[in-house]
Amino acid sequence: MSQESLNKLLENPRVWRGRNSTHTKTGLSTGYKKLDRHLPGGGWPQQSLTEILVEQYGIGELQLLMPALARLSVDDPLTPYAEPGWIAWVAPPFQPYPPALQQQGINLSRLLIVRPKDDGEILWSAEQALSSGTCAAVLLWPERLDDQSSRRLQLAAEKGRSWAVAFRPLSARHEPSAAALRIEVQARQQGTCIDVFKSRGGRPVTLHSIFSS
Amino acid sequence: MARVRKSPAAGGPVGAASAATPLQIPIPFATPATPATPATPVGPEGPPTAATPATAASQRLWFCIYLPNLPLEACGAGKNALAVVEDQQGVHRVRLVNAAAGEAGVMAGQSANAALALLPDLQLEERDTLREQQVLESLAAWLEQFSSFVSIAGNNVLLLEVAGSLRLFGGLPSLRQQVSAGLEQQGFAASLAIAPTPLSATWLARGGRRACIRAPENLVSMLRPLPLHCLDWPAAISEALVGVGANNVGDCLRLPRQGFARRFGVKRLLELDRALGRLPDPRASWRAPERFCADYEMTEEQSDQGLLLAACRELLESHEQFLLVRQLGTQRINFSFFHLKAPATKLALGCTQADRSAKRWSDLLNIRFERLSLPEPVIAVRLQGGHTQALQTSSGHLSFSGRGQTTQRHSMTQLAERLAARLGMQSVNGVTSLAEHRPQHAWCSRNLLSTKVSEALSFVRRGLKRPLWMLPEPTLLHVEQGYPLHLGRLTLVDGPERLETGWWDDDGIARDYYTAVNPRGMRLWVFRNRNPSAAWYLHGLFG
Repeated sequence: MSQESLNKLLENPRVWRGRNSTHTKTGLSTGYKKLDRHLPGGGWPQQSLTEILVEQYGIGELQLLMPALARLSVDDPLTPYAEPGWIAWVAPPFQPYPPALQQQGINLSRLLIVRPKDDGEILWSAEQALSSGTCAAVLLWPERLDDQSSRRLQLAAEKGRSWAVAFRPLSARHEPSAAALRIEVQARQQGTCIDVFKSRGGRPVTLHSIFSS
Repeated sequence: MARVRKSPAAGGPVGAASAATPLQIPIPFATPATPATPATPVGPEGPPTAATPATAASQRLWFCIYLPNLPLEACGAGKNALAVVEDQQGVHRVRLVNAAAGEAGVMAGQSANAALALLPDLQLEERDTLREQQVLESLAAWLEQFSSFVSIAGNNVLLLEVAGSLRLFGGLPSLRQQVSAGLEQQGFAASLAIAPTPLSATWLARGGRRACIRAPENLVSMLRPLPLHCLDWPAAISEALVGVGANNVGDCLRLPRQGFARRFGVKRLLELDRALGRLPDPRASWRAPERFCADYEMTEEQSDQGLLLAACRELLESHEQFLLVRQLGTQRINFSFFHLKAPATKLALGCTQADRSAKRWSDLLNIRFERLSLPEPVIAVRLQGGHTQALQTSSGHLSFSGRGQTTQRHSMTQLAERLAARLGMQSVNGVTSLAEHRPQHAWCSRNLLSTKVSEALSFVRRGLKRPLWMLPEPTLLHVEQGYPLHLGRLTLVDGPERLETGWWDDDGIARDYYTAVNPRGMRLWVFRNRNPSAAWYLHGLFG
């Protein structure tokens, strides 16, 4: 009986089923099989905002992005762009170290580092970079990011067909956000652990020791 | 019968008259008459001076400015001893020296090492002909105020045609005085000469004669004593002339035309003829590049941003039109906003690639205009275009593949310009890596707006651990019971990697680098200097 009524409910056109709707959109492979399996589209959501929450820097939060960024910054017939995109770093907390980036396979000639002075400028720069259509990815470290700003970034990413990645503190977890994907990166004894707590078209999941596989 | 008008071609006497005046140009080759008079001298005593070229020359007056020290002056010479050196057959030789260096005994022709031995703190500058040319052009632009006809002759000579300027500038002495005072004020040592033909003026100036010849008949007597070096002829020709006993222009003029042409070349003979005004000597006029300047007058004092921007846009559109018809672009635009009482507010816009598109300029203007504070309402706006340059244009793609977005991806410089316009140039950078073992020197910032893009090479071996985050300066770590601390006690998990290099400059290092982990799971790149009591430093984070 319950099965029957459930089927009936699902046939109702007003019921929206998240899982099916976004499966058509392909994601950008993260380079980590474990993570790809649990993300809708099999990778980072393109043309949208991703939020990465960290307590402190230096726990592998950049390492998580490196394979995807390396793919974006070099000529790759799989990416839908005629030439490799730029990767903009807006207000990074430290200096991104070029030799290490090269070790990760990133093409340094496609790197743009922007150091705005205040929060307003950070968001403005990120929005410009996203909507310009030049940058394949924009990483930003805003001091604050309210609901409205995250929506603007999301729209800019859609407009410029770019991928926005915002790094935020753990306290932002309970703030509303328009991001398509929100994950928390934690350092644990057994390795870096990733808690996907919002995934548009996917389900929340916690993945342990992501780098070891 | 009174209306008989013969056409000149029909008249026999006209042809006879032209035969009576020997042709001056093709002397040695087409001269059936000359064998009868073999010793016709080059000078005016010889072949009859044609009346027409002489009168044509008398209408003109050439003012020559010769800048013997231009290589020195182009370096922006100060008080310090300075010498300009030039590469002569693999040896750097001193070409010119300033007064301070001259006093110490440094002379032209010495090798650079000899000059340095004489004066150890002598500043040596490589000769920069491009810069000299720019200086010469800027001087030519300045001289345009004195004459409508300015010509650049050679790499250190400027010529002005001043016959038409005499009345305006109050006569020749006054004009000469104004030019010479202006040159002196700009720091140029110039030798000036005025003569009816450009070449004679140049020779006189080169000879350092303060000559001022207005009448063509005085020309020959002034030119005669000029030594041969003033003519700037090749050394071989000058030597050959000295060999036949011709030491100055007068001696040359006494030589037979035919023999002179055969021995020293027709070109030299023609030069003498041009200098004496017997042959026309057309010169190319030099023009300063055009600039755009336009004003937009408001009907009343205006402080509304939208209306001001609309006025600016209108100016930008006429600027675009101006550049479009000339196929030019510019890299700089200056706006001035005029107020009734306060001084004008200036706004300079720049972009890396020369452009004329009003849309692109107005995009840049919008960004800057937001932050512009106008002290008062505006009564007029002025747009001044910068230096123009030929525009490199490219045709758009005819895209059959239907991937319309690809055309947008070329606009990185535009994005960088927009960001730099608001944040400042120093806030927008690229990076590149360098071949260097010292971690802090293994990279540098790259200006994205420069057109030069060098491919960054990978210098770090794969096996070596390098952190993704680098601290701007290493931070000193506290130590507790022998363990370094950073948000808890650090455990060394990898290392050491010894880097001991850089002895050749003051920034040498001798460090052992380790990878460390703290209780919070952060992976850190720490080092200690290579001595037993050394402190620990944090240098990077494995982000």
